[in-house]
Amino acid sequence: MLRTALVDARQDYEPVIHVENLVKRYRHSETAAVDGLSFDVRPGEFFALLGPNGAGKTTTISILTTTLAKTSGTVNIGGYDLDRQAKDVRQSIGIIFQNPSLDLNLTAEENIRFHVSLYGIYGYRPSYSMMPRSYRERVMELAQVLGFAGEIFKPVKTFSGGMKRKLEIVRSLMHDPKILFLDEPTQGLDAVSRASLWDYLQKVHREKKTTIFLTTHYIVEAEGADRVCIVNRGRMLFSGSPEAMKSPMVGKYLLLDAENRDSLRSELTGFGPELMEDGRLKVRFSESTPQDILSQIKTPLSFMCLHEPTLEEAYIELVSNGHEEEEVS
Amino acid sequence: MKVSIQREFNAAVTICARDVLRFVRDWKNSLLFSFFFPVAFLAILGGTIGQNMGAGLGYDYMQFALLGTVANLLVQFTMMGVTSLIEERENGFTQEIFVSPVSRYSILFGKILGGSLTSAVSLIALFTVSFAIGIPLSLAGIGCILLVTPVLFLLGGAMGVLLSGIFGSSPKAVDRATIMVMFPQMFLSGALIPVKNSTGVLSVLVHLMPATYLVDLLRGVFYQGTPAYGQVVLYNPIFDLIISLAIAIVFLVAGTYLFVRSERNR
Repeated sequence: MLRTALVDARQDYEPVIHVENLVKRYRHSETAAVDGLSFDVRPGEFFALLGPNGAGKTTTISILTTTLAKTSGTVNIGGYDLDRQAKDVRQSIGIIFQNPSLDLNLTAEENIRFHVSLYGIYGYRPSYSMMPRSYRERVMELAQVLGFAGEIFKPVKTFSGGMKRKLEIVRSLMHDPKILFLDEPTQGLDAVSRASLWDYLQKVHREKKTTIFLTTHYIVEAEGADRVCIVNRGRMLFSGSPEAMKSPMVGKYLLLDAENRDSLRSELTGFGPELMEDGRLKVRFSESTPQDILSQIKTPLSFMCLHEPTLEEAYIELVSNGHEEEEVS
Repeated sequence: MKVSIQREFNAAVTICARDVLRFVRDWKNSLLFSFFFPVAFLAILGGTIGQNMGAGLGYDYMQFALLGTVANLLVQFTMMGVTSLIEERENGFTQEIFVSPVSRYSILFGKILGGSLTSAVSLIALFTVSFAIGIPLSLAGIGCILLVTPVLFLLGGAMGVLLSGIFGSSPKAVDRATIMVMFPQMFLSGALIPVKNSTGVLSVLVHLMPATYLVDLLRGVFYQGTPAYGQVVLYNPIFDLIISLAIAIVFLVAGTYLFVRSERNR
């Protein structure tokens, strides 16, 4: 019993992705695209790899998904060594590429059928009706969940951008991968399609406990991540929770204003919070709560706004500081 | 082991089936493409040569040109079927194929199968054009052509694998290389213009073209036992077969090795 519990506990903490000192130097390039990157991703974790253009995100995801050879380093995916067990790695992952990977001339069902046949889940049959009942039921169930049961036998080229992305996700989950790699999955989608896609992804993450490895330029999409890793020029700048990233870097503040601004200013100066004048009065706080500050103000307020730092602000500050440090050095 | 082989075979069949389905789904363009080259090379180019220079050869020039066109077009279409793997690797379903747990050998095998089956449609187009312009072709003659087609598909596929291996990292380069391979084969293999009396550099080039041996193999089988045999055939069909198979094996081995290596070592 105890032994089983220990094994279970070890499996929970054993990383599903282990990357150690990963280096990729492209041919004819003097600098490394990925320069000594190390990180672990735990089972069921939502992990976001962020960074500006040319940071090495796509190179990293290409190596982890076996489509690009690394120069050096150790990579283990789902318990398999990337060099010696590439085929097992491929079997245990699902991928949503930057560029759509659907065959637009085929129907949604045909795209799914080719996927399951390639992954060896079912033998290939030339028509849907000839496929096993379990396949047909699963396809119909998924189509209904995603709201395109009526379009499942229509060519994918008639689908909207959001529907195509959802179809890709459904397809990539057909072989029950341990890890789902998402390489800028919402690129080119409108706001409504992006929101709908993320609702579905969060559901998948919650219900199937699939590990999610995300790269994106929409930093807001990483707000819900368990952990974010910021890379720039192939090196890691930060690794930790979104909260940990936000807290030391961008302060929380209240924006206040009053008809009698002088009275408000002298009141605030009197009890000593950090005060800046930025069109309105900007009152920074860290230890105290907004209520502590507001309860001490007697001057009637004409404007009040609470500002919580966003991950995007923290990211911009972190990446900009990284650039400045490099320029200084 | 047995399960693994079965699974790889299933994956190759899936890749082949996709190519066939795409061909059928896009039937208008597919048919146009399949008929364009037989009409252009056989009816127009071959017809013009036949009318102006075909008299007094001692054999039917158009029949001679038909066999050359069959060999060249089947090789080229199969080759293009395989190289499409590289042309569309950055977009579309091919990305999906490359990250699936399927061996690279099975992917190439599936592409050769798919390329062979879709290029077989051009064979039907060639027969149709032949009947339409009155080229004599018996059932036995069709049988002879069908007998040799597996070798044509094999060498065409092998050439596609070699090009994919050499230019695997650049879809544009594969595209250009395919054209640069296609036209010299057409003109130097003896497909439309007899090469029996070629000498010097041209003779060397003729013998360097893999399609020369395929065209000669097809004519060797087709003209076997006829008076025209001695006038149109270069070598014994057994010799042509051995050379064709040897080239196919070398191209397949070298191409697969280069393809697997170049695919990840960018």
